[in-house]
Amino acid sequence: MTSTDEELVARSIGGDADSFNELVLRWERPIYALAYRTIGREEDARDVCQETFLRAFRALPGFRGQAKFSSWLYRIALNLCRDWIRRERRAPLVQPPEDVDLVELAAAAEPSETIEDLVARRDLTQTVERAMALLPEEQRTAIVLKEYHGLTFQEIADLMNCPLSTVKTRLYQGLTVLRRELAKQPTV
Amino acid sequence: MTDITCTFAGDREQTLIAYLYDDIDASERAAFDGHLSECARCRRDLASLGGVRRRLASWEPPQVSSLKAHLSPSGVQPAAIDRWYRQIPAWAQVAAALLFLGVSAAIANLDVRYDASGLTIRTGWSRPASTVAATTPPAAINQMHPVSLVNRDDLAALEQRLRGEIKTAAAAQPVRTPSAVDADTIRRVRALIDDSEKREERELALRVAQVLRDVTVQRQADLAKIDRNLGLIQNSTGVEILKQREAVNYLLRVSQRQ
Repeated sequence: MTSTDEELVARSIGGDADSFNELVLRWERPIYALAYRTIGREEDARDVCQETFLRAFRALPGFRGQAKFSSWLYRIALNLCRDWIRRERRAPLVQPPEDVDLVELAAAAEPSETIEDLVARRDLTQTVERAMALLPEEQRTAIVLKEYHGLTFQEIADLMNCPLSTVKTRLYQGLTVLRRELAKQPTV
Repeated sequence: MTDITCTFAGDREQTLIAYLYDDIDASERAAFDGHLSECARCRRDLASLGGVRRRLASWEPPQVSSLKAHLSPSGVQPAAIDRWYRQIPAWAQVAAALLFLGVSAAIANLDVRYDASGLTIRTGWSRPASTVAATTPPAAINQMHPVSLVNRDDLAALEQRLRGEIKTAAAAQPVRTPSAVDADTIRRVRALIDDSEKREERELALRVAQVLRDVTVQRQADLAKIDRNLGLIQNSTGVEILKQREAVNYLLRVSQRQ
């Protein structure tokens, strides 16, 4: 039977390292995706992801379950991303795509897809990455949390420490900028 | 674009976003449904923002190796240990290395000089050249030591001494057995190298495909250009032929009259 996050957290606090590893396995992909989409650099996203779990591990005894474990983890990751952006003193860069996984994904999902289709899809991904990189950090984070992590407006507001209406405004403004930027590039 | 007036009573943008993400009260949804049926501007905005969301769905972050490669099965500490050195700034590491060398040289009373006699290296156990030089005139030095600086005996003594030191140091140093950390490090490095090679290969394939596509596009553009130029040439040739024909006709007409 699959344990819930809360059960795994309780066992981890009790010293069961395997339970914590289970939590890592469960959440590493979403946390990495969040970090990558927020800061846009593969290696740094990996570091942020690793650091998130290290900090979570160290702070675990202090975790009292006031929030969901995932929200707590998201908060740590977002703080680290914010620190990274401030430290770098620059807008997040989008790496030249190393989205080679796209090939794997496409090969697995659509064996008949040609290399030209893959290139076209990669171009599309690049377009989205470039457009997202233009957004201010708050708008980008709101969009990432809503669009790719399916958080509710209230959860995003709690994570970003802002009113719910602000979250919606950031989403609207961000999507409007994206609409304009993406319109410059035709769909593939 | 925005010339169509929207008469929605509430906060249009907030409601539009809530409706778009289906994160809205049932009553609000019903009210906005009613509004949508009458407002072309809101329908258009909703459709275009939905289009943006569909394009956003295509953005997948790159695959990464699992953190299991970085975090050991028994917890996170080894990874933390592995990273400690990265927290020390590079300048501090360089300074530490220089300090170590300096201290080592001081302990060995190392004396390195390069002069007319060539390179001289002395350690604390050799007779200091400076003392001799300070108390003995140069002529006397030459008399005492025809080869005034390093001689064979000094080198032999130095060699013996170094061998002894190295042997002692080796004996004093605990034998380092390959630990689990080493094995883990090697495994991780191999995994990283494998990942990197795979990435390179796929990147190359994609680059080749891009180049092929670029070549195809360029070729089509060139063909179109050639077609256009040929057309122009044909046109100008036709015009020229027409002129020639008119000239010939004119000459014929003139010659017939005569």
